Amino acid sequence: MRVAIVGGGLAGFVAYTTLLHGGMEPEDVTVFDASGRDPAAVWRRRAEAIRQQRMRSESDGHCLPTSFPGLAVRAARRRVSPLPIVQSLCNRYHPTVAEFLEHVAEVQARTGWETRVVARRIERVTAVEDGFVLEGAERTFRHVLLALGHPGLNVPAELEADPRSVHAYEPHEYAADVAVVGAGMAAATEWLNALAAGARVTSVRRREPLRRPLNVPRALFSRRGLADYHTSGAGARTELLEHLLEPSFPSGQTWDGPLEDATRLGRFSVASQVDGEEQVICATGFKRGFAQDRLLGRLVDEHRLETHDRWLVLSPDCTVPALTDADRTLSIAGAAAQWAYPAADTLVGAKYAARGFLSRITACRTR
Amino acid sequence: MSYTLRGRIDSRLAAALGPAAVAAVLALALHRWWPVEVAALMVGVGVALDLLLYDRLLDYQPGWVALPLGAFELGLVTTLAIALDVRAPLAAAIVFFVASWLLAQLLGHAAYPLLRLSYADEGGELGRPGATAAATLAALCLLAAGVAWVTRPPTITLATGVHRGPIVIDREETLVGEPGAVVRGGIVIRADGVTVRNLTIVGGEDGIVVYNARRVRLEHVRVLGATMDGIHVRFSQVAIRDCDVVVEGSYAQGIDVSYSAYRGMSSIEGCDVSGGSEGIALHSSMVMVSDNRVHGTTLRGIAMTEMSMGEVSRNSVSNALGVGILCNDHSECEIDRNVVADTRADRSVGDRARAGVGIEAQFHALAELEGNVLVGNPVPTAAFSSARIEHRAE
Repeated sequence: MRVAIVGGGLAGFVAYTTLLHGGMEPEDVTVFDASGRDPAAVWRRRAEAIRQQRMRSESDGHCLPTSFPGLAVRAARRRVSPLPIVQSLCNRYHPTVAEFLEHVAEVQARTGWETRVVARRIERVTAVEDGFVLEGAERTFRHVLLALGHPGLNVPAELEADPRSVHAYEPHEYAADVAVVGAGMAAATEWLNALAAGARVTSVRRREPLRRPLNVPRALFSRRGLADYHTSGAGARTELLEHLLEPSFPSGQTWDGPLEDATRLGRFSVASQVDGEEQVICATGFKRGFAQDRLLGRLVDEHRLETHDRWLVLSPDCTVPALTDADRTLSIAGAAAQWAYPAADTLVGAKYAARGFLSRITACRTR
Repeated sequence: MSYTLRGRIDSRLAAALGPAAVAAVLALALHRWWPVEVAALMVGVGVALDLLLYDRLLDYQPGWVALPLGAFELGLVTTLAIALDVRAPLAAAIVFFVASWLLAQLLGHAAYPLLRLSYADEGGELGRPGATAAATLAALCLLAAGVAWVTRPPTITLATGVHRGPIVIDREETLVGEPGAVVRGGIVIRADGVTVRNLTIVGGEDGIVVYNARRVRLEHVRVLGATMDGIHVRFSQVAIRDCDVVVEGSYAQGIDVSYSAYRGMSSIEGCDVSGGSEGIALHSSMVMVSDNRVHGTTLRGIAMTEMSMGEVSRNSVSNALGVGILCNDHSECEIDRNVVADTRADRSVGDRARAGVGIEAQFHALAELEGNVLVGNPVPTAAFSSARIEHRAE
């Protein structure tokens, strides 16, 4: 069996556990990642940077291939209490970051992940007759899943050279007077963090943030919403994706209470631009689009793959249509797979891509 | 979860397979159809709601919503079961529903996601196993319907005209009369599950005798000229509906249900009972007596006695001699919304208990009254010999 996963972050890890669940042996799978063997390393660094305590996702946001038993069941067993399950039934269970990371470590140890990770950076993927050549690897792989993660942190051009600025996902402390640029989940988290640290906070934003529990409407997590999405035209799909990428964070007193209190005390205000604050935190997310990723950019150029706007066009199962057939598979997981699954940058999205990948491998005549 | 329509139906039908099989086994073991009928109602109501309501209203269904939806479906199934005359014991039917619902929740939240990786992605659709489950369920329903058809009780039709009685029924069957069919000399029922419908019975000592039988139904029967009881029930469970009973003579009674408490609840409703000593007499039985008209009796209109239990509701009792409605001898009677009018005092005896009492309790009996209309009775209510009458708040 010649299966490769390029990228050893959470999306790659989820794909790996899904393949094992589907009957593959660990030795059938090779994972390439230059940065190490901890699948949560990058995610942990970002979560620590924004002092994230709880997951935005609900019980389903875990790395196991089946949605049951999720983290709520695990917590219920541990605490000998049905409360997490009841909360989960009401969409009120949000595991702590610590619980999530502990779960990742457990699954990592149980599945022999570390033995399958090759510390090598893959910079180019080239399609050949019987599969794909990964530049830097010594073999051709018939089935490849690219779980490349976000292509980098997005910092507004005017702030790139500003010595006051730091990205929210980079380690930082808080000055006494802080501007937070952005209006999504990370920005909202940083407002509260900075306020808790005693800072005066200016929220710099061009538009009012949307308030929604998840980035993507729930129907788009299943075929109910996906069926229409997959049959919609490129223009409509692009428009929807743009809308979904607008900054948002959940509603509720957890967020509103501290902000209202701080506003009354004159410690929180909204502005349209940075104006002399001591520190500027860019909670502006990630660079977007396939072209921002070196490997994907090359892949598209060299194989003349179909794209639309900044998205790589994919089949509904997250495979690259021009490079996938009965004998070989090229799948994409993570943010770059939004053309197939709008919530592709979530753990549920990673599982969706992994299942599609597994189905293709299982159906392959010559695997 | 965001179900697709097919996902809802797939998940529901697959979850119904187990209960359907259990219902089939129960039906075989109990020799009753109600488990299959309740299971079929559950599936039918569920699929109809999926098609007409849930799919349109619920783009996304959090786990907790299953609880109110389940209660809603239970209400609908219960209402339909009553309307369609499914003869299921209420408690057992509710236990069956709740157990089936719990099983469906366990399957939906745990088993299906474990068995089918893409269960949530595909909005609850189960693919080929789902179609197989639906086909199996359909086959099971067809099989049950076939068995029901083959084993249904025979229906005997009596042609218009006079038939010589007594007719003795000692097997499960339905006896139906064509318009103008008359049995002279009475009918005797000694088997479970007998239905007698649309017949006139004339003469005989007792018009209809039901002895040691359960699930007997007497519907739209007319009983005339019996010298003892119009309808005489012993050790049995009956449902008497929309009957006419006319009796005469000082010992005759309209309907007498006795010594049948251990057989379960019987019912007498929508009947017109005229003449005789007691219109409706109940001894050591559990009976619901409702919406009947009883008139012209010479001892009591309706009597519930000898440790009987039951409800006497919405009846009209008029022109009774002595007592309109009696609750006697350790019986417990809920007497509500009846009209008792023009009860006459029995002057042939110097007994206060027969002084034209509208509603009376005797000898350690308990009568709970609510919303009765008592008109033209010399004594509206009275209790004797340690009996109690309690008036419930209206």
